[in-house]
Amino acid sequence: MNHNVTRRSFLSFAAAGAAVVSLAACGGNSAAGGSAAKAAYAAPAKDLSAELSYAIWDAAQKPAMQKIVTEFNKQYPNILVTIDVTPSKGSAYWTKIQTQASSNTLPDVFWMNGPHIKLYAQNNQLMPLDGLVSGKAVDTAHYPKALVDLYTVNGAFYGVPKDFDTSALFYNKALFKEAGVSEPTSSWTWDDVKSAGAKLSKFYQGKGVYGYAGDLTGGQTSYYNTMIEAGGTIISADGKKSGYDTAGSIAGLQFWRDLIESGVSPSMQQLTDTSSSDMFTSRKLAMTMDGSWTVGPAQKALGDDLGIVSLPKGPKSNQSVIHGLANVIPANAKNPAAAQAFVAFLGTQDAAKIQAETGTVIPAFNGTQDAWVKAVPSVDLTVFLDLAKDASPYPASANTAAWNELENTLLPQAFAGTKPVADVAKDLASQMNAALAKES
Amino acid sequence: MKAQILTPASKSVRAAQAAGDRRNGKSKSDGWWPWLFVVPTVAGIGVFYLWPIVQTFYYSFTKWGVFGGTKFIGLDNYVRLFADSTIPQSILNTLIYTVVVLLGIPIAVILASLIERPGLRFAALYRTLYFIPYITMPAAVGIVWRLIYNGDFGPINWFLGLFGIQGPYWTSTPGFALLAVATVGLWMSLGFNLIIISAGLREIPRELFEAAEMDGASRVRQFFSITVPLLTPSIFFVTIVTVISGFQLFDLLYVMMGKANLAMPQTQSLVYIFYNQAFLQNDKGYAAAIGILILVIIALLTAFQFRIQKRWVNYV
Amino acid sequence: MSESMLSTQSGVESRRSGPVADPPQAGGAPTGRDGKSRSTKGRGTPRPAGKNRGTKGAKGGKQGSNVLAHCVLAIGGLAMISPLLYQIVMSLSTNAEVQSTPPTLWPSVVQWHNFADVFTSMNFGSQLWVTVAITVIRVIGQVLLCSMAGYAFARMQFRFKGLILAVVLSIIMVPSQLFLIPQYQIIQNLGWLNSIAGIVAPGIFSAFGLFLMRQFFMGLPDELEDAARLDGANPFQIFFRVMLPLAANGLWALVIITVLWSWNDLLWPLVVTSTANAAPLSVGLSNLQGEHANNYPILMAASLMAMAPILIMFLLMQKRVMAGIGRSGLK
Repeated sequence: MNHNVTRRSFLSFAAAGAAVVSLAACGGNSAAGGSAAKAAYAAPAKDLSAELSYAIWDAAQKPAMQKIVTEFNKQYPNILVTIDVTPSKGSAYWTKIQTQASSNTLPDVFWMNGPHIKLYAQNNQLMPLDGLVSGKAVDTAHYPKALVDLYTVNGAFYGVPKDFDTSALFYNKALFKEAGVSEPTSSWTWDDVKSAGAKLSKFYQGKGVYGYAGDLTGGQTSYYNTMIEAGGTIISADGKKSGYDTAGSIAGLQFWRDLIESGVSPSMQQLTDTSSSDMFTSRKLAMTMDGSWTVGPAQKALGDDLGIVSLPKGPKSNQSVIHGLANVIPANAKNPAAAQAFVAFLGTQDAAKIQAETGTVIPAFNGTQDAWVKAVPSVDLTVFLDLAKDASPYPASANTAAWNELENTLLPQAFAGTKPVADVAKDLASQMNAALAKES
Repeated sequence: MKAQILTPASKSVRAAQAAGDRRNGKSKSDGWWPWLFVVPTVAGIGVFYLWPIVQTFYYSFTKWGVFGGTKFIGLDNYVRLFADSTIPQSILNTLIYTVVVLLGIPIAVILASLIERPGLRFAALYRTLYFIPYITMPAAVGIVWRLIYNGDFGPINWFLGLFGIQGPYWTSTPGFALLAVATVGLWMSLGFNLIIISAGLREIPRELFEAAEMDGASRVRQFFSITVPLLTPSIFFVTIVTVISGFQLFDLLYVMMGKANLAMPQTQSLVYIFYNQAFLQNDKGYAAAIGILILVIIALLTAFQFRIQKRWVNYV
Repeated sequence: MSESMLSTQSGVESRRSGPVADPPQAGGAPTGRDGKSRSTKGRGTPRPAGKNRGTKGAKGGKQGSNVLAHCVLAIGGLAMISPLLYQIVMSLSTNAEVQSTPPTLWPSVVQWHNFADVFTSMNFGSQLWVTVAITVIRVIGQVLLCSMAGYAFARMQFRFKGLILAVVLSIIMVPSQLFLIPQYQIIQNLGWLNSIAGIVAPGIFSAFGLFLMRQFFMGLPDELEDAARLDGANPFQIFFRVMLPLAANGLWALVIITVLWSWNDLLWPLVVTSTANAAPLSVGLSNLQGEHANNYPILMAASLMAMAPILIMFLLMQKRVMAGIGRSGLK
């Protein structure tokens, strides 16, 4: 939930602030911090005395973070860690971080997410953490590979994964029962979900209840997943080329257009007025594709009527985009030894277990996710973990915001049917390529 | 510029200017005293407003890196600007928006002439009712209007439903969205227009109406042959304000439209595109070029309005 | 101009962007507190309601048409405030009631706790304080700076006066968004991000306010000024002791317009503040919308609370407010 960075218009304010701040970065530092961190990290002496600031954006996670700090202080009693929560999700947080980046006053350790990692790494704002890996303080094998890949930029490892989220198929058992349609299973395909959705929409016709929809105002919990499931890509692995014009990507987009056209899903206009998550929690939607962070709100709204299964299998696979946060250290860290010791601890199994107990996020450390799964016993949350195993990395480039905006401008026309999906996809690809070309 | 921006001078203004002129004749210059008075403000305006315009002009010839750093690229941004099909569409959107909001002026004239009737009871209450939308917070009322326009459970579509009409998704259907936003613009500005026009109405000598009444002129006739012509300075003023603010349309779009809105291309204003390029797509060089275009359009519009005002504005 | 930051919908923008002229009449006594006693041409005294009724209100036709007028005005007035009535009802409903069809006319159980919940959802107290602080500072700054500069432009002679005035006035029409990036850079270089100083700095300078005050001072009589000069007063003394008190009406108009604008200003404080405690209510509301996008009752309650101080102030001082706005138009 906290890292649902691609949602809601209010994010644009973040971009606004971020953009404004970035202007002033011209004179900022760059090349600091590179060489020092390449060397294998050796744990500092236990009596190392330092003060660290740790910037996070989710107040709900502060107690867990505080507990981790307490545990950390059992090892390093003289490292004083101050947690600085900048609330209101990502918006204010990124404004502040970018301001600090441009004036060389970044916090000693802070949260990073997918859309921003390349921006910061490629502009030399972050310290590479390969030293932690070679020094055996962090083992990347403990985390989902897609997350490690997300935080590896140009061959350097910049962020120790903290948690992750994936998408799955949410459904309302009561609506299925009333309509006499058999409930989804984790082995469903696109065709299964389409035909069940059609039955449901037909049954509830005139009552404002629909069969299946996703949040099309962003790709993370909808078209990103289907594009990949159809064998397409959003962006090439090197982040230089758009994947929107591939056949698989077009098929993944067409999936949502078909749902809308056949009346299984509400129209694009309706989904703009009332989000699919909103419709699902107010029992107006029988099935939706949504992220693991919505389990809590959905369970609260639907209770035992909530069901969750794996994503329906597409032409190639059933895959989810995986996104997650990482802890990073600025390039010009004031106290690199202490900061690295703290980040290494944040990446340990002990720290992950503390996070899992809060039940809000799926910890990134493999094998510690059980506590989160147990938090909502009425549904089988292991589907999110299974989906994480071969999930696709969150698509990002140096200036992700620029082409996210293109997606938001162009794709609604495809989903609404005002223009053929293939035409829009090709148009988007060429505009996105132009935007990507500007990044270098 | 100075002479142009003056609102149509009434007698009192002219008298004042004459007084000023007399004074001016007395002493050619007041030495360094005036600078003590003007320097703080003029310096502040120079730094915070004038300098940004100069900078925008410069930036419009550059490309910006994501983390800063500009590169001179000549006219590239302008070449792109003239090839960009969203620009003429957004200008058209702005014109439509402005026309709808301008409809509030005849409405305000009619309402004002009703409220300002001699001895009308509850006149103060009416003024208050009409004026309240003007002082509300745009960020707040935007949310309310989004709800009102909601296609599924908004009261407008419920009301239409009573007559068997299936209302559209107002803020996300191309065509309707612009109308919906402009209606809110009209709603917010009506109180302002009403107060200005009421003030103008109270200026009209009562004797004119009394004379017309004695001549047997009907109320409608009085309205068109006395009220409207004598109100033209006020009407001109609110027209200018409406047109200028129409070209600055931004925050209603921002609050009411949300992202990934199908209707955005047929609704967005030039200022919105500027904002989008500068702050969402990080293309500040191109945004600066759009900003310069906005400046040019507003300057032309204002010059045009002042040019034609002579044809229809009556001065008392 | 930053005053019109984000207030681009015509209603709010028009407070700022319009050309303005309203000097009190030469020789008029600008002492009235409710605007009515300022004499206007064509009508020497305020029109007492009773008088008109006495002279011409007896005709049956007139009474009849007033009924029609009342009908039109009442229906229209109700329509104008219906969004706010709707907002009040929604703020007291449950989220399910907000999203129900047909719309809820009155909640089955009044949810007063929505208002209490606002305090746990946003830093209402500190944001109210920031809003009040920035509004007061901007008002004081503008009243002082704009009246001084307006006075000089209206009644003193100096080089480049016409040129400077023309440049200043042209700024009135520029959309505020255009100033955003450069202004941000200036504030950042000053190290004023996240501070009240950073929020208010651009907004205490106002091309509009300068123009408004210039128009007022142009209309003041010479006699008092001349007399003061003969008494040996310097221009500062003349301005503060003689002329400024005479411009009280203009100052009121400026105060009202600045308060309205400052209270609602969103985009600029949003960009220069990044912590919830340093932000004004408009920003807090916008962030709240991001976090509780679907919790309509909380959003409605929060926005009512954010607007309440200004609405109450308006109701208490409505005559002065409307006279001030009316005066910012023309006479």
